[in-house]
Order: sequence, then C-alpha cells, then structure tokens
Amino acid sequence: MSSVNGAVPTTIIVAGLLLAGYALLMTALNRRMNVPLLIAVGVLEILLLVQVGIVVAKLAGGQRPAGLPTLIGYLIATPIVPVAAAFWGLMERSRWGPAVIAVAGLVAAVLMVRLHQIWPVIHV
Amino acid sequence: MSEPVTSPEPAASPPDSTKTGPGRLLVAVYGLFALSASARAGVQIATKFSHAPVAYLLSAFAGVVYILATVTLSNGSPTARRIAVLSCSVELAGVLAVGTWSLADPAMFPDATVWSSYGSGYGFVPLVLPVFGLLWLSRWSRRARTRRTIVTSAEDAGEAADGDAAHGEGGAPGQGATDVVADGRT
Repeated sequence: MSSVNGAVPTTIIVAGLLLAGYALLMTALNRRMNVPLLIAVGVLEILLLVQVGIVVAKLAGGQRPAGLPTLIGYLIATPIVPVAAAFWGLMERSRWGPAVIAVAGLVAAVLMVRLHQIWPVIHV
Repeated sequence: MSEPVTSPEPAASPPDSTKTGPGRLLVAVYGLFALSASARAGVQIATKFSHAPVAYLLSAFAGVVYILATVTLSNGSPTARRIAVLSCSVELAGVLAVGTWSLADPAMFPDATVWSSYGSGYGFVPLVLPVFGLLWLSRWSRRARTRRTIVTSAEDAGEAADGDAAHGEGGAPGQGATDVVADGRT
C-alpha cells in the first residue's frame, strides 16, 4: 500500500524535473509556449491532484500530522502552482513563458520533498 | 546570436513593462516567495510564536518585502519601479544581514527564516533574486529612457539588451543606480 502511495510523489518529482529541463531547453532555444508544453503541464497537474487525493484520504482515515495547518496550506497551494504558471506563461509571447513553466516543474518536485518532511507517512 | 524565431504577431514586441520578458520569470519567482514566506510566517506566528519570535517576525517582514516587490514589478509604473528598487535593496540587505546574524548567533534562531544562512534552505534563491531584480530594474530604466529610438525587431532588441545587462553586471555597477536616479526625476 505504502509503496503504491510512494510511487506517485516519486513520479511527480521525476515528471517535474523533466518538465523543468524541457522548458529550460525551450527557453535556451528561444522557443515560445506551445501545445506539447501545455499538455506536459496538464499531466503534472493531474499527478499533483492524485497526490492531493491520496493525502486527503489519509486525513479522512483519521491520521493527523504534527503540522496540520502547514499541510493543509500545501494541499491548497500544490494544485494551483501548474495552473498559475500556465496562465502566467501563456501571457508571455517570448522564451520567458517556458521559463515560468520550468519554475513550476521545480516547485512541484520541491513540494513533494516538503510534503514528506511535514508528514513522513507520505513516502517519496 | 541565435536566429530569431519568426513571429507574425506584433504582440512579440520588446518587453514594454517590468512584468514582460525576463520580468515574467522574476514576477513568477517573487510571487512564489511572497506566498510561501508570508504563509509560512503566518502559520508560525499563529501557532508557535514564542518558540522563535525573532525568526518568525523576520520571516513575516521578508514576506511583506516579497509581496511589495511582486506587486510593484508587475505594475511597472515609474513610481512602482522606484518602490521595487527599494524592495529589492531592502531584500538584498536583509538576506546579507540576517544570513550573517543567523550564522553568528544561532541561538537567536531556533527555527529558520527565509533569509537564514543566506537563504540556503531555499537553494540560495533569496540571495540571487534581489540581484537579478535590481539588474532588471536598472536595465529597464535605461530602456525606458531610449524607448523611442528602439526600432529593431523584438528578438534583436532582447538579445542586445541581454548583452547590455551582462556588461553592466561586470563593468559598471554604479551605472544602474544613476539610471534609477535619473528615471526618478522624470
């Protein structure tokens, strides 16, 4: 059970870093936002929503972390990151749009590590 | 340097505001830090203020500075840019002062702030961010003064300005400040 749960954060970390790498490559190559990059952001968003669902299920099951307010803050902020980055990046018609997406990918990876620190039952 | 991407849209003009071009990235990262620093400080002050009052108050102060920088950078008016320069300067001074303080007197900081150990807990982004913010603002002020003369294409202007900023970073740190002052008079 825990190994299944641990697979999602690990996937998010890998996906976030891959997205960041791809987006930074686009910035370096002077490319603007395109549909494949948006699809990749959508995949990351779905993964993050799955992870939020897993954590909410743990909370609903009666388990509580030490820092509950912080965890709830992370649960709210996490799904917003890719959406906000996609909107903010789409407003930019230059290489700096993908650069914003790269930040979102890195942040998604960092958020998974932080989630594990806040509540170690969330395996990474 | 590289071949510019052909863009049929006139929307791809040179950055016409502090929130476009590289500023888009800056505002995004500043927004991220504004949110995380102030939210974290809010939770800490609300739940365990007495544990590390100095650290939490400094975190809250950092959060306010980040919010101010985010708002003023995305606004971009001459007044907002002056406030942004002030915010970035306070931020740079803060991360250097608090970073040194946290290393010299660790007992004062039982819990970390955004600026502890020069922002090492945040990948030193808090240390680098104000430097890029100030570079961007000084470069933008310079561009604003000569905006009417820019007739080159979007990407050409971007490339030229990139080189310009890189030169300014190494060669003439005082130039940016002069521009800001000159801009302030207009």
